[in-house]
Amino acid sequence: MPKNITIYTTNTCSYCPMVKQYLKRKGLSYDEVNLEKHPEMQAEVFEKSGALTVPVTIVTKQDDSQDVVIGYNLARLAPAIA
Amino acid sequence: MPHDLVIVGAGPAALSAALYTSREDIDTVLFEKGAIGGLAAVTDWVDNYPGFEKGVAGLELSEQMRKQAERFGAKIELGEVQKIEDQGKLKKLTTTEGDIYAKAVLIATGSEYKKIGVPGEEEYYARGVHYCATCDGAFYRDKKLVVIGGGNSAAQESIFLTKFASHIDMLVRSSLKASDVLIKELAKHKDKITIHLNTTTDEIVGQDGKVTKVVGTDKNSAQKVEFPTDGVFVFVGLLPNTKFIQGSGIELDERGFIKTDIHLMTKVPGIFVAGDVRSGATLQIASATGEGATAALMIREYLETQERGPLPQAVVGHPQLYG
Repeated sequence: MPKNITIYTTNTCSYCPMVKQYLKRKGLSYDEVNLEKHPEMQAEVFEKSGALTVPVTIVTKQDDSQDVVIGYNLARLAPAIA
Repeated sequence: MPHDLVIVGAGPAALSAALYTSREDIDTVLFEKGAIGGLAAVTDWVDNYPGFEKGVAGLELSEQMRKQAERFGAKIELGEVQKIEDQGKLKKLTTTEGDIYAKAVLIATGSEYKKIGVPGEEEYYARGVHYCATCDGAFYRDKKLVVIGGGNSAAQESIFLTKFASHIDMLVRSSLKASDVLIKELAKHKDKITIHLNTTTDEIVGQDGKVTKVVGTDKNSAQKVEFPTDGVFVFVGLLPNTKFIQGSGIELDERGFIKTDIHLMTKVPGIFVAGDVRSGATLQIASATGEGATAALMIREYLETQERGPLPQAVVGHPQLYG
């Protein structure tokens, strides 16, 4: 069980609801940061993900290590939250 | 316990088929690896789907289709089908969520945007080169953009991107192939969108990890042309999603789309196809939903035949006689 999950989204992103729905179905809670409402966070997310895209999901594990999942990518997201 | 029907994909064709089959108590499960609604869900605005006088947001249309199919019992699993194997009366599907079995399968995986294949495209993928305006357009507020392509998607998404970008250079290899309505709409945004016809895209150039310009060729003058930009959006056609059917015996046409007979069934009995991934599809949401409904009726017919055996020749082809 991850310690924390944060999803970075925008208003029009179609894949963002998919990530949220997937996590909900897995019974996991998450924080959401809308980068249009918080443009000051964009540089930080870009630095962590290396990608100018959303959704970006940052999974913080119990040992504080982090997995960064770009897009709605189940092959990456499923092991990250396991 | 096998499902009656597994639908691979959850775009308009898939959701339309699921609505029909689940409404007839055919146990239906859909598998979607991307966005529910497929490419329709990532399209900003849909103006040519019947029933919406003023048009409808692609995401909203997809949500309505999903809810309607789920109302009758269709189940949507979030996962990826990696392989299909014909085992006669049953089809085995290998998925990221485990193996499942079905009496019939509908492939409605649609297509994805093609890459253009020029230097710089891979290098700057998601760091200046994008394929989804609704996903990534917001990162380009008050910035310059290049849109590559001249079809409906390129026109529609360019118009959407004017919400954010200060200016858009649209590079069109030959002439505009968008609908007249969209061409008129583009003209309304001429203060923000400059259309460059007969202009190829040759290279995407960047510096310090950021895209800085697109280099192309003006085919009229054969001169190199440069377009300074902060980002590039590519909409140059569609590629069918068929990787998972390799080795299944399902036939593809020369462009990689799946061949079917007039009943939308592939060469493998019990495996049907609908929507953009089908050879001969017209790549429209309205035709995809129509094909989904047709496929559902053909699948019902197939399942009934499997249950009771074929009818006498005289009534075959007249499903209304026993439907």
